[in-house]
Amino acid sequence: MRLYDPTSSGPERSLSRAPALTALEGKTIGILENNKLNAMEMLREVAALFETRHNCTVRSVWHKSNASAPAPAGMLAQAIGEVDFLITGLGD
Amino acid sequence: MPLDSHRIHEIPDDLLAAIDYCYEQGWTDGLPVIPPVLERVHAMLAFEGRPPEAVIATHPATTLQLTVHAAAVNAVMAGCLPEYFPVLVAAFEAMDKPEFNFHGSTASTGGSAPLLIVSGPVCDDIGMNADVNLFGPGNRANATIGRAVRLVLRNVFQMIPGISDKSTQGNPGKYSFCIAERARGNPWPLLCETQDYPPGVSSVTVFAGGGFCNVENHGGNTPEQILGSVADAMANYGCITLGQSVVILSPEHMAIVAGAGWSREDAQSFLFTQAKRSVEGMRSVGKYRDSEYDRQHGDDADAMVQDGYVHRGLSPRDILITMGGGDAGGHSCFIPSWSRGRGSIMQHKPIGVCIDCG
Repeated sequence: MRLYDPTSSGPERSLSRAPALTALEGKTIGILENNKLNAMEMLREVAALFETRHNCTVRSVWHKSNASAPAPAGMLAQAIGEVDFLITGLGD
Repeated sequence: MPLDSHRIHEIPDDLLAAIDYCYEQGWTDGLPVIPPVLERVHAMLAFEGRPPEAVIATHPATTLQLTVHAAAVNAVMAGCLPEYFPVLVAAFEAMDKPEFNFHGSTASTGGSAPLLIVSGPVCDDIGMNADVNLFGPGNRANATIGRAVRLVLRNVFQMIPGISDKSTQGNPGKYSFCIAERARGNPWPLLCETQDYPPGVSSVTVFAGGGFCNVENHGGNTPEQILGSVADAMANYGCITLGQSVVILSPEHMAIVAGAGWSREDAQSFLFTQAKRSVEGMRSVGKYRDSEYDRQHGDDADAMVQDGYVHRGLSPRDILITMGGGDAGGHSCFIPSWSRGRGSIMQHKPIGVCIDCG
């Protein structure tokens, strides 16, 4: 008996992680929040830890209009150009 | 060379063992599947005009793609007959629209399932059920088309329960959630007739549904009484959001509503104005948010929005209403949206035809 495989037959993906920062001291932070209840509060708290411990600075905040959709490519491209690293996470 | 010939599984010629093999590969929704033998997949493909490698839908986050071929394999596994295949293809074309957001609605803790509402002559052509036991069980087309949607989400888009599908409680519709709109005795225009398709063209509407709420009313005999019950269900504290709604009126209820001369638009307006909660009430259960209220009551607010209240949806057009079910019984239903806001907007596509495809 011969069966077709039902899983994805799409193109191979080439996904990779961004290279890790070599140091945190004095870096600029971006916040990407998902517009859910408590998201901003939680992410601000996280950013404050970096500010206190590593002298980082929050430079930009981006807001997703749809919590469950990927961040728009343009938004991510802007973040890459403006900050050293981005803090994001689920708020609800 | 057939598409994906390198991904053919050669297994012993034993049907029961093949069913077990599909389980072992992680290809099922928990129920047994039809092993996707080559001949059945080829028969399915014969009902689609595009080549097997044509892409129907793409996952926005992972870029995984649903090809015609992969859809056919999963349709076979779900138990679809080949003539059902155009409905499945159209459903994923509709789900592929960014506004539907099939990634979010499938991955979310909210536990939604894509509800398919098939409208037009295709329902009778392929033997769909729009009558008794509308939501099942009992009809092969309804059951297997809906099931094929789930298998595609699982196998092609890798929306795996517990891993990439994080639904807190799930919902029974995640096995299958597909109905036909009842044309027989329906006093209102069919959905496909209101969606600007040429006469005779059927359609499928997809809606990220968050469950099923039966609306029982055997005593009411006016539109206000019947739809008042529906509105109350739509506005319960557990369900009320700015999201869209689907309401399927039973024939008994429809006879009362339309029999009094009410149009679909009349019913939508009534439901929108009635399905609301006071700001104070929303605060009392911890669900009030300024941003949502401002969105509903802002400069472009619908004229029917009432100050001091949170309505369900943004306008009467957010409420899809049609008829379905058996002749007997005062049981309609309300299907709440998965989306608490505008995270998923219902979409529709024609079935088996290409309109303005370029």
